Amino acid sequence: MKRYVFAAAMTAICLGLFCGFPPWNDQAQAASAEKFTVLNPMGTPPPIELKPMAPRLDAIEGKTIYIVNDGYPGSNILCAEMQKGFSEQFPDTTFVYKDKRGGMGGRDQALWDEMAEKADAMIIPLGH
Amino acid sequence: MRVQYIQGPVWAKTGEQLRKSVVYGKNPLTGKAVAEEIVDKLTRPLAPEDTKTGQIERDMGPPAYTGTAAELQQLFLEKRYTDFMPVILPTKELVDEMLKATSHDPDEQLGRMNPGSGAGETWTYTVKTAAINAVMAGAKPEYFPVILALGSSGQTAVNVSDNGFAAGAVINGDIRDEIGLNYEEGAVGPYAHANTAIGRAWNLLSINGGNCGKVGTTYMGTVGNAQNALALIMAENEEKSPFQPLSVRRGFRKGENVVTLFTGWGLLSAKNWKANVWQTVMDYPKIAKDIYEQQSPDLFGTLLVLSPPIANFIADDGYDTMDKFTEYVTGASAQPKPKGKAGGFGMGGGNFHVVVTGGSNNNYWMAGGMVPTRSINIDEWR
Repeated sequence: MKRYVFAAAMTAICLGLFCGFPPWNDQAQAASAEKFTVLNPMGTPPPIELKPMAPRLDAIEGKTIYIVNDGYPGSNILCAEMQKGFSEQFPDTTFVYKDKRGGMGGRDQALWDEMAEKADAMIIPLGH
Repeated sequence: MRVQYIQGPVWAKTGEQLRKSVVYGKNPLTGKAVAEEIVDKLTRPLAPEDTKTGQIERDMGPPAYTGTAAELQQLFLEKRYTDFMPVILPTKELVDEMLKATSHDPDEQLGRMNPGSGAGETWTYTVKTAAINAVMAGAKPEYFPVILALGSSGQTAVNVSDNGFAAGAVINGDIRDEIGLNYEEGAVGPYAHANTAIGRAWNLLSINGGNCGKVGTTYMGTVGNAQNALALIMAENEEKSPFQPLSVRRGFRKGENVVTLFTGWGLLSAKNWKANVWQTVMDYPKIAKDIYEQQSPDLFGTLLVLSPPIANFIADDGYDTMDKFTEYVTGASAQPKPKGKAGGFGMGGGNFHVVVTGGSNNNYWMAGGMVPTRSINIDEWR
């Protein structure tokens, strides 16, 4: 008799535990063919704004190209080396090195105005 | 914009190294000279698609999917909706049950999130998005106000940083016991349902609501960070701490339910530093000061996670308030205690914060470079 009582008690405990977490059990015990409908968990990205690229140069010879350092560590060294090295490789092009104020995210309006007036193109290293 | 890829990193290289690898080097993806590719990008005529204007709306898939449990688990895995582990499938019934734990409208915008440090796109998500992700994480509805408070911050649990930032949160107030947060033995470990499910929900909301944690685009940790597997959710052991709770030190009243978010490098045993934590007689305040002085003070500063025995040793040594302890460790008075956004980049030196949690079975504790970013009242999200 004691054995049956024990078995009954264990069964009741197991059933209680099994029913304690319905989300796990419903899905775990579902017949393999049973279908669920579940919700998409994604947030909403911003729309992509398309902006036309600036017109390209017909050639770089005879042009002035600004190389702009945005201030990330090492970018100043890279930009200086690009200015020197590209001048060696493309002697008919003028490469100008400039430091941008305002860090990586800031806008340096004075530099932008200067480039609008004097530069034919610009190269700016991004990332790190 | 045409983008030229070069061999990184740039930082810490000499001019000669950069000259060789970039200026006269090759694109590691194409094998072509960098200089020639740049000229091509400057001179190649624009294609019609280069001159388009307007907006492209994003297709985020249907609002719901139907399939067997196995099919849906596979679908969620393939669509990278998960942390690579099986989830509780978010049926409408389970999500509705979760939403009953808040008075907020399911369609209310809960937050805006980008992968960190302003990098990448900023996505938006609703209370319902948070509920879906909370279900997926295995959270119980009673945890949901904490998850909403975390989501409302807009802070990602999975930062894009190539330095591999971790995220954490400290919970104060009566809600600790109400929802069964562990703040005794193993408090910083993963083996407590409330702590673990809340941390996972924050992770999943970051992945799905904020488009974070995608290796190669929005998760760029050079070696990654193991603590990104689960956001660190700690509840303070206020009852056994000799100090005012963290939330009180940040301007809230005692007992108020508050979550304080942290970001930084993560936590390690105090033994990780040069401190000898196994001597017979210990000078814990001095060890804390030594650890603080080894940390970079101007980024994340230092967070100590003290077990109650260590906290009480420190108090017994005469530093029975956080102001006294902070002044001793940093040589300056305690930091301001803002409720809102504060700390983090550019905060300057002197960043020093303490949390007391865990059991009392031995004299162990943790430390790391982590800084509080903001504290949020949880009850506002009920």
